[in-house]
Amino acid sequence: MILLDRVTKSYNNRGTALKSVSLHIEPKEFVIIVGPSGAGKSTLLKLLTREEKPNSGKIIVSGIDYETLKDRSIPMLRRRIGVVFQDYKLLPHKNVFENIAFALEIVGMGNREIRHTIPRVLTIVGLTGKEKNFPSELSGGERQRLAIARAVVRQPKILIADEPTGNLDPKHAWDVIRVLEKINKYGTTVILTTHNQEIVNKLKRRVITIKDGQIISDRAGGAYK
Amino acid sequence: MKRKLILLKRVLGAGLKNFVRNSWLSVAATAVMVVALIIILSTVVLNVTARNAITDLSKNLQVSVYLKDSASPSDVKRLQNDLLLNKYVSSVSYVSSAEAQQQFSQSYQNDQQLLESLALVGSGSLPASLEVSVSNLSKMQEVGAIPLEPTYNSTVDSVTLGKTDVKKTITRAASAQHYITTVSLGLAIVFAVVSMLIIFNTIRMAIFTRAEEIRIMKLLGATPSYIRGPFLVESSIYGVIAGLIAASLVMAAIYSLLGKVSTQSEFSATYSLFTQHRIVVAMYVGAVLVGILVGIISSMFAMEKHLKLKNW
Repeated sequence: MILLDRVTKSYNNRGTALKSVSLHIEPKEFVIIVGPSGAGKSTLLKLLTREEKPNSGKIIVSGIDYETLKDRSIPMLRRRIGVVFQDYKLLPHKNVFENIAFALEIVGMGNREIRHTIPRVLTIVGLTGKEKNFPSELSGGERQRLAIARAVVRQPKILIADEPTGNLDPKHAWDVIRVLEKINKYGTTVILTTHNQEIVNKLKRRVITIKDGQIISDRAGGAYK
Repeated sequence: MKRKLILLKRVLGAGLKNFVRNSWLSVAATAVMVVALIIILSTVVLNVTARNAITDLSKNLQVSVYLKDSASPSDVKRLQNDLLLNKYVSSVSYVSSAEAQQQFSQSYQNDQQLLESLALVGSGSLPASLEVSVSNLSKMQEVGAIPLEPTYNSTVDSVTLGKTDVKKTITRAASAQHYITTVSLGLAIVFAVVSMLIIFNTIRMAIFTRAEEIRIMKLLGATPSYIRGPFLVESSIYGVIAGLIAASLVMAAIYSLLGKVSTQSEFSATYSLFTQHRIVVAMYVGAVLVGILVGIISSMFAMEKHLKLKNW
């Protein structure tokens, strides 16, 4: 499903963010990536969504080799990967329904189909009844669940969640994690980055630890080191 | 296909929404474009008017060859044939002394004193002449030189270039046409550039306002054309509205101003040309197309500089 082979990424002003990283993630896996700030976690995720290009190495996602990926095909790649950001990246002038619909509108889904699809995803993330609320009227946890709803509404095979619990209190953080687990149970590969030790230790999933741009451990059923 | 139509509909809708959302900037951008288009259209109309007027006036270009009383009919005939050999001579007509007098009397029938003086001098006081119509203003000298050749010394008394003030009028009209073209083209360029700058800024501001939305669109997998589309639609709307207003104002000017002088032969051809159905349609279509072109070029520049769609 996801293969990174000796991937290196360096920036002119910040030095090397990732040093010859190799990684293999199977379909339907739930993988947690941990590491201190500046370790290279976000760079890794940006490479997967093709926001960044590696300096060397190979990346293959769902059979797509990024080396041969044309710029015009990037939108199609991104439609296969759902992304959840720490800062939500919701549109403040759109309500819950419209924020989710936005992801479907840009791929040309008809209005009737959108109206039919959104209630299902709202049920999954537990936001039924909040359709008309604007992001400013939601709690942090609700906003993050809305961001997850938008990321999964197109039923991507991969969901990347970049520190989705970073701004949340423990209760809301667990709400978000439960939603991610539910989505993983439906068959979506989930890649989660987090600093939250308690979450990592309780989830008992595969944990990849990155430090100074290198993978220092990769263990199934692992814990925060 | 269905998805593409849905996307097209959404792009059009978003463009229209942007246009309404930036209403004040939209009004400014449209207004300046209206001025630019009016100048462009007026340049065309004024040029056509001047050219038609010159063509009409040129019909009256005449070289008058006054004949001596002693000129023999055979010499006059020879001169007449010689003149007709020149390709810029469209016709040569003989006006006898009596006919000249009759024309003079008709022209000055209200000036009793002048007519009485003429009667006093006698019927043969005006010379016979050859009236030579010339098709090209600049060739009048050349045509006028033919009767002045030595061989016609005994036939020709004098030659006058331009029987009336037509020559001066045409020269003035030609230089005015040149002046109008230069000035209006200059103005059209200035206003077109100003209007492009305003649209450029309008689109730039729209891009800045929607920067976060555009970034999210990119991350969610929107195609570059879906992101660019609304901006192109917005700037095209400026062009369409400006084109329609400019063409309407110019047409109103044609009907009201040119309509007043349409009975004069110099302007009748122009008036009937610009009131033809197909020309009216062409003016509207032309103005709208130029407006859309100016709008699209400006927004393309703005998007190229600020949208950064190349850097995915």
